[in-house]
Amino acid sequence: MSREWVNVIAGNAFAISDGEGDVTDAADAPVGLFSFDTRFLSRWVLSVDGEELNVLSRDDMAYFETRFFLVPGAASHYVDADVSVIRHRSINDSFNERITLLNHSAKPADFTVRMDMGNDFADLADLTDTAARGQLRRRDVEVAADSARHQLVLRYARERFVRETTVNSTAPADVDERGMTFRIRIEPEGQWETDLHVTMTIRGEGGRDLRNDLESHRDHIHGGMREELTAWLDRAPQLMAERDGLEETYRGSLTDLAALRYTPLSYPARVPVGGLPWAMAFCGRDSIMTCLQTMAFTPELTPATLRMLALLQGGQLDDLHDEEPGKILAQLRYGESAAFGERPDGLYYGAADTTPLFVVLLDEYERWSGDADLVRELRHPARMALNWIDEYGDLTGDGYLRYQRRNERHGVINQGWKNSADAITDESGRQPPFPRATCELQGYAYDAKRRGARLAREFWGDPGYADRLEREAAELKDRFNRDFWLPERDYYALALGPYGEPVDALSSNIGHLLWSGIVPHDRAEAVAEHLVGPRLFSGWGVRTFAAGQRPYNPVGSHLGAVWPSDNALIAAGLRHYRFDAQAGRIAAGIFDMAQTLGGAVPELIAGYERSLTKYPVQLPAAGRPQSWSSGSLLMLLGALLGLRPVGDNLLVNPALPVGFGRVELLNIPGRWGLADAYAGDRSATAAGRRRLR
Amino acid sequence: MGATIAEHLRQLGAGRRTDLPDTTAGTMRLDAREDGHTEHWYLTVADQHVRVTRSGDDAELVIRATPAVFDRLASGESHVATALLRNELTVQGNLRLLMLLRRIFPGPAGARHPRELGRAAMAGREGRR
Repeated sequence: MSREWVNVIAGNAFAISDGEGDVTDAADAPVGLFSFDTRFLSRWVLSVDGEELNVLSRDDMAYFETRFFLVPGAASHYVDADVSVIRHRSINDSFNERITLLNHSAKPADFTVRMDMGNDFADLADLTDTAARGQLRRRDVEVAADSARHQLVLRYARERFVRETTVNSTAPADVDERGMTFRIRIEPEGQWETDLHVTMTIRGEGGRDLRNDLESHRDHIHGGMREELTAWLDRAPQLMAERDGLEETYRGSLTDLAALRYTPLSYPARVPVGGLPWAMAFCGRDSIMTCLQTMAFTPELTPATLRMLALLQGGQLDDLHDEEPGKILAQLRYGESAAFGERPDGLYYGAADTTPLFVVLLDEYERWSGDADLVRELRHPARMALNWIDEYGDLTGDGYLRYQRRNERHGVINQGWKNSADAITDESGRQPPFPRATCELQGYAYDAKRRGARLAREFWGDPGYADRLEREAAELKDRFNRDFWLPERDYYALALGPYGEPVDALSSNIGHLLWSGIVPHDRAEAVAEHLVGPRLFSGWGVRTFAAGQRPYNPVGSHLGAVWPSDNALIAAGLRHYRFDAQAGRIAAGIFDMAQTLGGAVPELIAGYERSLTKYPVQLPAAGRPQSWSSGSLLMLLGALLGLRPVGDNLLVNPALPVGFGRVELLNIPGRWGLADAYAGDRSATAAGRRRLR
Repeated sequence: MGATIAEHLRQLGAGRRTDLPDTTAGTMRLDAREDGHTEHWYLTVADQHVRVTRSGDDAELVIRATPAVFDRLASGESHVATALLRNELTVQGNLRLLMLLRRIFPGPAGARHPRELGRAAMAGREGRR
């Protein structure tokens, strides 16, 4: 039986508990309170008079705030309970839980309220790495219990690396090394409450006034964060849709994106993190993709992401970090293993797609926003990124973008978006040697060169460089279509091995090629038909890897599962090539999936045939919310509406699948100011062009 | 091993450093502190040039560490970002300038160019023929 997990999130700080609000024996599960990749509470269990509590209901007020309504004892007798408990928790840079006990009886009552507290200071990266789980580092945690100050301090130090959890109670408490006990009396119909305020210190800076901290936490939660969320939703375009639930799904996606933003230590604006629970860190790929997906909706994510990535662009050759000059980051983490080089992900660069996609994002942002100053500001990092493609990305000198890790212990084996170790395989299960050139990387490189040429010509005053990039792009397209195309299969190979031998599997990667525009028109239809054909299309979306091939596995992340982020890019690509019906089928499937499941869109679902399972099968490894999953719904909506900047105007060219009815998206931000998009499916058009509201 | 911070900064040429972003400018002060004694280096970065002086003046970013920590950075043995995570460095001011040190100091010795792996793969194939 799976347990329900409840989370509150604020950027890269988050808390995951069970349905009662407790965290018990977190051990190697990613539950508890985390910030900057470090666990700050691994035990947080509330009891009253020695009894566990049971939840009656829960109110998820906002992504950063939840209330649990509980009663002591077993489910059988709580109906006439004369005491009830409210746990009201919120998170920003710190965590707060207000515990309220209500005495519903006509007599005064005495209670012993106990909160068990503890922490192991686990590194989130250790919990993520399945190989490291079960052999987690044992850390010596210093505990200081101070009943006079109602305070418990848990501290872990390794050399000068210090992490500290401080729990303060506003009500008097007996504090011991394993938690706090409150012996209280409540008058008839009366109540008692305390705020348990948890601060998470990540460096050795002492001397903060915790009382001020609690006040500023409350102000921030009650004023700042709620207002900020409202303003974020108000800045995004307003959706009005006939289709039931679509507005709620849209709003939910925007809210998830709001939750998954954090302010890095080194940069003063918020950027997206990957998602809960495994990727609550700045991930180059996830962040870039999220920005590309949300360009028409929340463009403010992009400049901060581009600047942050430029700031952290690779500067040296470094095998440990798989770093080269000009390369764009794969992942930034702050945990202990990153700090001590036990894992290279403090700043890890093992990704072959982030660097061309950085250039793609910069160009796309200018097309939407008209922000020429940013293009000029980022000329140097963009040129370094373009240089990287040929100087460091072409490992064998055959003109293809390839990867092979140099950190052979911890480096990522497959460095495209399909980054599981077994993701790149032919249809019989044979994996090619390294260095590998997957097909979508060539599409990204082609697109980056073409877009880089536009930037060089229009903004950098370098027409010679623009000509060179365009020539290189054209040569790459020719070469690619010669070497990757499998004429007897009518699709592109998933990859080439080091000697140019094709990896013949049919995969979703070919859909990315449409998005990048590297497919000639006379081959596009074959690609489009494969994408919605029975081997790749499950009914919910395009599988990562086509059924019927030996390694196909419907629950394999990159060998059969369906990813919304993958599908959004594919649908956008199909619309570029005017395969509107195919794009519509995919978009409709993903929206059906999102609306059937409800809540945040998972990162992936199983690749089972829709007609077989009727219900989307979720995978335990799939996190949610995930920024690039929530963003994918926005991208799909944009693709269905056919939103595209043309000069200083927004072009709207809708193609809605049947069942969407009327859709209106108002106040789409861009260089045009704000613009509206109106669309209807064929049935809606037939019924007349009535306005929704 | 490699150079000390003093040697490295002394021999840092006055020429253009094309790997530095041309739109980034700022001042950094490195404070190497040991036994109550502090040595200062003052770096002025502008227009892809780095000027080094010995001054304790205010700077946009002040970085404090022991001489040994700075020596490891200057020799490429340690990465400025992980040193910060380990709290070996303390920083005050505009953190965005910190990553410039990654370009000003060398990378680790013995790092391979990715093409070396490509060449090895091709040579391996020749060898098998």
